[in-house]
Amino acid sequence: MNTKLRVSEISKIYPSCVANDEISLEFGSGKIYALLGENGAGKSTLVKILSGVVRPDKGEVFLNDKSIKLNSPLDAKKNNIGMVFQHFNLFETLSVFENLSIDSDKRNEDLRLSVNNILKKYNFKIDLDIPVLNLSAGQKQKVEIIRCLIRNPKVLIMDEPTSVLTEQETEDLFVSLKQFSDEGILIIYITHKLKEVLSICDEVAVMRKGKIVSVSKTKEEKIETLANKMVGENLSTIKKKINNFKYKDEILKISNLNFSSDDPYETNLINLNFSLKKGECLGIAGISGNGQSELFQILSGEIITDYTSIKFRDKEISKLNPRERREYLMAFSPEDRISQAAVPELKIYENVALNNFKSSNFFEKGLVNEKKIKEHSKKILSNFSVNTDNVEMKSQFLSGGNLQKLIIGRELITSPELLVCFNPTWGLDVGAINYIHETLININEQGKSSILISTDNDELLKLSDRICVIYKGKLSKIMDVNEVTPEKLGILMGGGSID
Amino acid sequence: MSFDLNFIGILIGAIMASSVPLILAASGELITERSGVLNLGVEGMMIIGAISGFALMVISDNLFLAVIGSMTSGLIISIIFGVLTQSLLTNHVATGLALTIFGIGMSAMIGKNFVGIPGKEFPLLFVNLKENIPFLGPILFGHSVILYFAFLLPFLTNYFLKKTKIGLIIRAVGDSPTSASNQGINVILVRYSCILYGGAMCGLAGAYLSLIYTPQWIENMTGGRGWIALALVVFATWSPIKVLIGALIFGGITISQLHMQAVGLRIPVQLLSALPYIMTIIVLVVISRDSRKIKLNTPTSLGQIFYKEK
Repeated sequence: MNTKLRVSEISKIYPSCVANDEISLEFGSGKIYALLGENGAGKSTLVKILSGVVRPDKGEVFLNDKSIKLNSPLDAKKNNIGMVFQHFNLFETLSVFENLSIDSDKRNEDLRLSVNNILKKYNFKIDLDIPVLNLSAGQKQKVEIIRCLIRNPKVLIMDEPTSVLTEQETEDLFVSLKQFSDEGILIIYITHKLKEVLSICDEVAVMRKGKIVSVSKTKEEKIETLANKMVGENLSTIKKKINNFKYKDEILKISNLNFSSDDPYETNLINLNFSLKKGECLGIAGISGNGQSELFQILSGEIITDYTSIKFRDKEISKLNPRERREYLMAFSPEDRISQAAVPELKIYENVALNNFKSSNFFEKGLVNEKKIKEHSKKILSNFSVNTDNVEMKSQFLSGGNLQKLIIGRELITSPELLVCFNPTWGLDVGAINYIHETLININEQGKSSILISTDNDELLKLSDRICVIYKGKLSKIMDVNEVTPEKLGILMGGGSID
Repeated sequence: MSFDLNFIGILIGAIMASSVPLILAASGELITERSGVLNLGVEGMMIIGAISGFALMVISDNLFLAVIGSMTSGLIISIIFGVLTQSLLTNHVATGLALTIFGIGMSAMIGKNFVGIPGKEFPLLFVNLKENIPFLGPILFGHSVILYFAFLLPFLTNYFLKKTKIGLIIRAVGDSPTSASNQGINVILVRYSCILYGGAMCGLAGAYLSLIYTPQWIENMTGGRGWIALALVVFATWSPIKVLIGALIFGGITISQLHMQAVGLRIPVQLLSALPYIMTIIVLVVISRDSRKIKLNTPTSLGQIFYKEK
């Protein structure tokens, strides 16, 4: 039987924004529907409403023309609506099987039988009796999918499913989704990646600022048309810079870097070796959780592993802490803007002072020189197009993009010789991404070097001069960007070999 | 020789008795913490249990009623903690500390009229066997029903957490309340239930002190046992069986050092008195070294306020 899902005049208003503004849409089974939009466009709110996690202020949901009440996740389950969340809803310390059994009414033996059938049918390979924290992101996602499949869903909602997957895992996922769709499950696919919409979805609804701005067949769309609908303006595309390799000096050399941790959540690093020239950008690709955050913390000095492995401008800096490394003109932009790079409760100028607390300009005899810090902060805000000039504002009120500009600006205004950044555009909207990318290209052109650790392959291919892949704590060989393709990266990211 | 053996048996029996309040309170708190709630009010709930049990015994002359009453009163004051932390979203640590201070003050106030009143004899089981079998007799027999319950409790708790559906749900809530809520689990209800259970067990631990262990009311008679129970849970890395081991070590060294003091060993008394604390921590740290297991047993959301999206 065909499933039809219709939402009618759904509205949800939060104190700070209108997340959904009178949204009406209709989905029918046998197809894959894309819900496309930038971060903050309201996609996630809409699907949270459909899965019963959030209640709308107004509006109705109809399943097969019958109005249904979705007051809790249980209601969604009763109506056979399954949801795979972007940030997995799994219990890391429980085993896979415990995770599956927690909301199942079946007896354990029956459940195991039906799970094994699903594993076989869709060719998933997952050990049911190990804790979830030992699984890769792709496997965790499969656990979430299995959890939905156990309940024979009519509707399956996937929220940004590929953000944590490798190229290969993404392809596998697409095969599975097609299979589900052929079996009559209605699939709603939330994403901001245009390529995915075109490659697997049949219809696409574009959301912007809480409203549906277009509904169309994907056959009639192209990347550019979708992008413009999504952003609402014509985007200038930045060209990849051309490196003329005018500098030859080696600025950073990592030799025999090892790191081993007792913490089961951390990844060990095994014998890393690489070097970086002046004016060069080295991209480090990989699926998150393969050692990137450990590598970043070692480069920034948050973790000290040994005293001999890092040479920067011919000086051994392995045992220096982050502040001392900054004095040697290194700069760092961590992955998590809110908890690592800035203190959200502090004001903008206070955050600016944070990584410069040795600067004699800012502090005299242990006292804070507010005036100087504020002047300096204003300079950052205007030089790096942060969307405010109020340095007294608390940092938490900046949008992700503006906060990232502030952080990058704070790091760059001291003219460092090397900037290490980790997922600098994660979760940002297209405009902010463009700005950050331009900035990163600019510093290379000024002869400053950068290391870009990122899980976004398009970004890496655009900005890097050379690229390598980190997989389970090991680095692949370093390749010139011209000889790298997304396919090659995908193979290396999944642990394969390309020779 | 048989005298010595019997003496050791009696000593072990005494050690077991002294560890009962720790086992009861820690097992209760363990369930509470496994659901992600950190209740530092153990000492307060225990002492409220102690005074209300004793007071009820004096008033009604009924020990059964007194025990039930102490569990109920422990449960009732844990409701205060529940309402504050789960419904009004206050900080777990501050609320728990307040609960302890409240409990100690409240019990002293109620207890004013009960100081100096002698307790009632609590029925002990298998007293004949205790006296007739050397060594094993005083270890296994002649105890109150609460002691037998306390020694079963860690195993029951372990089974409950690992093998039952409700145990699984409690662990899931402690791991990630947000995920649990998104799966349709009523996080607040689960956490309330665990808080109330913890309260009742602390009340029972208090009753054991004032009705059986030292059958009388003395102000502040819990003497920091609630804090020890809290520490046991953490150092036992949330494993009920290790809580039992820790409680026995603590009880064992407490009793033995008293004997050592009595014998007049030339070790400073202060050092001897500190010994139970030091040794318990050392032993538990050593047996809980496996960092992988710690990760898997630690309730990830411990002490975090859960706010449901609406």
